Amino acid sequence: MRLPWLENNDNLQANLFTLVIHLALFIFMIFSVNWQVKTPYYAEVELWDAIPTQIKPKPLIKRATPKVQKPQPSIAEKIVEAKKDADIQLKKKKAAELKKKKAAELKKKKAAELKKKKAAELKKKKAAELKKIEQLKKKALEEEKLAELQKRLLEDEEVEKVQKKLLEQDDLERLQEELRNKDLAKETRIAIEGTQDLVAGTNSGELEKYKALIQQKIYQNVNKQLCGLDPLELIFEIVLMPTGDLIGGAKMIKSSKIESCDQAVERAILQAQPLPMPQDNRLFSQLKKLKLKFQPNGPIN
Amino acid sequence: MKQSFWKFFFLIWLVCISNASHALEVIEILGGKASQIPVAVIPFKDNNAQKSMQLMHEVITNDLNRSGLFSSIDISGVSDYPIDEREVNFSNWAALQSQFIVVGKIDAIGRSNSQMQVTWSLIDIYKEKTVLSVAIKGQPSQYRVIAHRIADTIYEKLTGSKGVFDTNIAFVKKLGKEKYSLFIADYDGHNPRAIVNSRYSIISPRWSPNGKKIAYVSFEKKKPVIYVQDIETGKRTLLANFRGNNSAPAWSPDSKKLAIVLTYSANSQIYTIDADGKNIKQLMRTRSINTEPAWSPNGKEIYFSSDRAGSAQIYKVDVDTNEVVRVTFEGNNNVSPSLSPDGKLLLFLNQDNGSYRVAIQNLLSNQMLKLTNGPDDESPIFSPNGHMVLFTYKDYGKVSKIGTVSINGLKMTPIDVGSETILESTWGPLSD
Amino acid sequence: MKNSLLLASLLAILAAGCSTTDINDSMGLNAPFPELESSTGDGSEVDLIGSSQGKELNQSALDELAAAAELADRSVYFDYDSFAIKSDFEGVISNHATFINKHDAAVVVYGNADYRGSHEYNLALGQKRAVAVKQALEALGVNGSAIETISFGEEHANQTCTGSTCGQDRRADIGYVGE
Repeated sequence: MRLPWLENNDNLQANLFTLVIHLALFIFMIFSVNWQVKTPYYAEVELWDAIPTQIKPKPLIKRATPKVQKPQPSIAEKIVEAKKDADIQLKKKKAAELKKKKAAELKKKKAAELKKKKAAELKKKKAAELKKIEQLKKKALEEEKLAELQKRLLEDEEVEKVQKKLLEQDDLERLQEELRNKDLAKETRIAIEGTQDLVAGTNSGELEKYKALIQQKIYQNVNKQLCGLDPLELIFEIVLMPTGDLIGGAKMIKSSKIESCDQAVERAILQAQPLPMPQDNRLFSQLKKLKLKFQPNGPIN
Repeated sequence: MKQSFWKFFFLIWLVCISNASHALEVIEILGGKASQIPVAVIPFKDNNAQKSMQLMHEVITNDLNRSGLFSSIDISGVSDYPIDEREVNFSNWAALQSQFIVVGKIDAIGRSNSQMQVTWSLIDIYKEKTVLSVAIKGQPSQYRVIAHRIADTIYEKLTGSKGVFDTNIAFVKKLGKEKYSLFIADYDGHNPRAIVNSRYSIISPRWSPNGKKIAYVSFEKKKPVIYVQDIETGKRTLLANFRGNNSAPAWSPDSKKLAIVLTYSANSQIYTIDADGKNIKQLMRTRSINTEPAWSPNGKEIYFSSDRAGSAQIYKVDVDTNEVVRVTFEGNNNVSPSLSPDGKLLLFLNQDNGSYRVAIQNLLSNQMLKLTNGPDDESPIFSPNGHMVLFTYKDYGKVSKIGTVSINGLKMTPIDVGSETILESTWGPLSD
Repeated sequence: MKNSLLLASLLAILAAGCSTTDINDSMGLNAPFPELESSTGDGSEVDLIGSSQGKELNQSALDELAAAAELADRSVYFDYDSFAIKSDFEGVISNHATFINKHDAAVVVYGNADYRGSHEYNLALGQKRAVAVKQALEALGVNGSAIETISFGEEHANQTCTGSTCGQDRRADIGYVGE
């Protein structure tokens, strides 16, 4: 195929080159590569080998806690959710159909019975009463049957519900396993993380929770009596290990200008070790370095 | 090509910032608690010292506890008594929840070993290092003073404020039907000695801010009159014996003047007078009661109690402009005002439901805090660092006692000065 | 010889014990204190307003005072938180007013308060009661400058009174110079 406009355009080469570069960089933006060699403070563990055991955080004393945002479902979770929905719909359909069938059957039977009755009435008058009795009996029987059917239907529904649940769990676990093992899933995760990094954390709920826990623990130790009565501010920076212990103490960035206050706040931080840390590796990396801002005598206006 | 180069550069920059580490997470911690610093005071190692010196750690512990800013660690289960940082097992002390420990040793020195030298250290358990290391000398008989000074040094280092453990208090005791005495003692009640004996009541003892004199009201002339007595020499002068009552002496911050209350033949009114008795001037005149003057530390205002609004409340008057402003509004009535050394807190008696209790009010926020429960608490006065309040209260037998309460309200401690009833008490200044 | 040596060495030991210390003791531990029972003027007594205008009671007046049954009652009692002269005591005041005017007497009204509250504020309360009685006497023609008022506050009060028994301390007493 000839593309004359390609050959005739002098700048085109340059423009194409530019376009390619743009595309490449754009792709890089999406799928970023971590070219920094990070030396971890801890041994790298192959994640997802086993579901990590969660350490239950200590029950908090009731205080006004910062609003925790509802966690937004990730794409993977959304897929699972969709699948679940589909399954539920299917099963609902089946149950409905079953119901319909049985209801239809009932109808048929009823119609047939009625016909018999009419014929009998026309034929025999003497047997009318007997027949009536018979009819009544039959009716009762039918009602019994109806009740039974309804009962069974309900039972069926119950059983179906339980089965549904078990099936759902199976599905979930299967999905999780797939996610754990497949490389494809990993890449997707990285891809998702990448977009998340740009979109500023869809896991902010967990992050806020840990920030609140850390805030609580340090607050309990702040002896504000050593800070006088006037409003003041102190800022410290700390670096943490996954155990929640500080590395290298607390670094004071902003002093209160009162020595006993600076020391009291520093003591409060040191005393709060080990700080509550998440097990999640990625979440920990967001909490590894922290800036702590103190206003022991209330907000500075 | 140049245009492409800058686009390229821009995209690289975009990649970099998108891939860069996030800004530090910020955690804001607002407010704090009124808590106590756990300190363990270990018995000092006694190298040939007298038994009395061995009690120093108890005196230090009691001092720090009384302030309400420290709590003592129970060391009954501890067997090793380190004398300095090298001997300290930090993890043990951290396990006991102690933030600091005080250790030391006592050596006999000087000619015929008559003097004692105490070498002590304040050690930070969390940072695992010595904060202070000091040597102090004295006679064995002065072990209490030495201990108080050690407590002062620790207090100042950790709170930034001067300690008051080496100061004095004065109090009036009724020893019998016609026997009253004004005593001076260590702030914790030890070492009391009488400086005035009388058959008649003595009230309103007030130390001059420079620590040299004490003013008081005596009924020996069958009416209240004001004396000023030199503490060192015991000599006294009659400051005020005007017609009617003479009472409520209050020293100006520079010790040169006093505010006093005279009645002539009318209701109580406030005057100022030079410390030598000259230059009497009326501060204000109303038809109501005006009494109990108390100077602000900057000398610009005088706080006082008055019933001009119907019930006794506390007001302040500007010494220059004579403008009067009401200060207290809660409870049934409020009397006996005095100011903290930094001028930020008002100390007074608040009556509520018939009970008199000690209260403080933040003069900036006007927030009030009740420090005691009453029902018959009286005579409140700040310690020279404003961190404790000395006051009198009645025990179950309606005998008046004295005690201190920390201004955070956490610690109320009696002062043992014997079983006789106390009329009034006051706190002396810091010795410079 | 031996005894004096012993005495000397004892004194020496005592003196050694009193040697100066490194701790600066400026509180005057051994400062002398005055006994006040017999103290009179210190040379600095001040009385700016001058003495009372009334006359000290002479012997016959004193006798009359002692004999008069209606003058035996010297006290005016007050309700809690009130400085109004109750009608119950108008008689006391008028009886004494008559006597005072007759003899041109110098009078002192002593005010008192119950123990509750601070000593100083109670001095002021007692004073207010004394002033109330003084004003009541003035209303009956007594020369105000003949009446001095003194308050004892709670210094003579029952420190263990409760409820109604504390009413005893909320009073002003009429006294005469010379008795």
